[in-house]
Amino acid sequence: MKKWILSLSGGLVIGIIISTIMYENQTHVAVPQSNLPKVEQENAQQNQTNGLRPVTYEQISYSLQNEELNITYNKGEDWVRVPIEKDSLFVGEYNGSKDELIPGSYIFSDARVGFIYGTDSILFKFSRDHGVTWQEGVISKNFPYVRYRKVDFLNDQFGYAVLTGDRTMSQEFSAVFLTHDGGITWDETTTPPSTRIIADGGFIDENTGFMSYGTINPDKPDLYVTQDGGQTWHASVIEIPEQYDLIFVQAELPIREEDHLSLLINQGSNGDYAGGKVKGKFISKDNGLTWSFAMEVQPNEAE
Amino acid sequence: MKQNKNLITGWILLLFAAALFCLQLTYFFAHAKYQVEYTDSRLFYVVNILCLLFLYIGLTLLLRKLTKIVLGVLAALLLVQIGLLVHMNKEVRNITSISPNKHHVFSVKENLKSGEVVYYRTHYGIFARPKEVLPNKIIGEVKVEWLANDIAAFTYQTTDYKIDHFVATYGDRKNGISYYNVGPEIQGVWKGNGVEVVSNTEGISIKENSAAELFKWEDIQQYGTLAVVLKRKNEPIWTISLNENFVVHSDSTEPLVGNISLYKVTMEQNQPETLRFAQ
Repeated sequence: MKKWILSLSGGLVIGIIISTIMYENQTHVAVPQSNLPKVEQENAQQNQTNGLRPVTYEQISYSLQNEELNITYNKGEDWVRVPIEKDSLFVGEYNGSKDELIPGSYIFSDARVGFIYGTDSILFKFSRDHGVTWQEGVISKNFPYVRYRKVDFLNDQFGYAVLTGDRTMSQEFSAVFLTHDGGITWDETTTPPSTRIIADGGFIDENTGFMSYGTINPDKPDLYVTQDGGQTWHASVIEIPEQYDLIFVQAELPIREEDHLSLLINQGSNGDYAGGKVKGKFISKDNGLTWSFAMEVQPNEAE
Repeated sequence: MKQNKNLITGWILLLFAAALFCLQLTYFFAHAKYQVEYTDSRLFYVVNILCLLFLYIGLTLLLRKLTKIVLGVLAALLLVQIGLLVHMNKEVRNITSISPNKHHVFSVKENLKSGEVVYYRTHYGIFARPKEVLPNKIIGEVKVEWLANDIAAFTYQTTDYKIDHFVATYGDRKNGISYYNVGPEIQGVWKGNGVEVVSNTEGISIKENSAAELFKWEDIQQYGTLAVVLKRKNEPIWTISLNENFVVHSDSTEPLVGNISLYKVTMEQNQPETLRFAQ
């Protein structure tokens, strides 16, 4: 009996000693982690100081929490606040979520991050030193009620911005701007003679650019090309085989492939050919003026 | 007869000691799995002290010829636990308050080294999980006032000598399922002793001693579904809370039932003012 009592007591004493040591090694004021999935919990742990969570799992990402824009270069470990009012990132005609940036309206690369924003004027704010200093350029003064916005850079100095606005039903005004000094000054180019809703636009080198129109029930691709940095635009001639007539209707932004250009033409939002996701691949050997059909591309190949 | 009584008491105390140790094991399991902590960090040592005391008395009752070594070990352990409990006060400032009806415990912990202040949501009274990091560090005294049995208002001075305010809510005035906004639910004119609150589409205005101030909706922050804090230049000025007799209707055309409370955010001792619906 005595043996039992002493064994039980000894066990309790040892247990108390071990538990006290364990308790002493614990953090007594913890940061809430809530019931998030494990990956998000890890991120939450990383952001103990400010509670920010990156929107994507990319190395460079951002957060629009707390009504401000913050960027991270290391998956949420450290954050830099961007000196832009959150609402000005969604200026104009935009009805989507304000928890994520408008696709195309920003660029993230190790060399540069930049954002299109504004009020009446459309501005581009960017940083080349991981958010330590910021520079700003005016893309357009008094732009009418911006809807579509896209910015990209092809090298350290040359970049383009495509803006549309002042939409009424299925018509809108579009404009292209180029910068040759990294985003500080922007010059407007001429624009193609189309007021249809833009599908995509951009440049593939300093001279060659494309604008693709028609998103509302298009019946054929409406693509324009410039080969002189936006001074003149020509309608591209796309030879669509008869069997793909009314199927491949919306041109995407071409890319350069070896000695020719390659263009994917999708089926628009209402396409139902082979599941609706198959695209047509077209080739141009005269830098975008004429295009001939090459092959069908399955969705996973096209991505 | 007396010996039997001692034996029974001794065994009961030993079982109590074992039960308290099981409580500690439960804590460690819950901490590892659910981030659970004691509502007051010092409770761990209090439980250990009680466990050792029961063990000490239980053993002396059960074993008459207890060696001095065993008693010495228990006494030394007891002293260590008391020392650690006192030392905990230098690491963590535990701010706890029990609701008037004893159903809820408000818990905030301040890490005295980093200055971080965390609000804890309590479970079963003694356990709590971290819920929210408060935005500002605390300097000086703090104040906890229960505006209702399920609404605790926490006021403290921040390191930049401003007053900050946090409202912990533990209940609901509807069905406990759906969320609702407090501001629209109290739309109308509310009157109390020398104060008037008007909630309309512009915001909430407070009239005190014939001076009125409008707080626009963007300057009003809601806590849970029971309270809103009205801010001027980001500084909390007033808290409006729904009293326990307030009923949130699904149909907004039904007449308002119940009272609301208006509480001035200040470090001085003050009481919430109960308001009744006027029109």
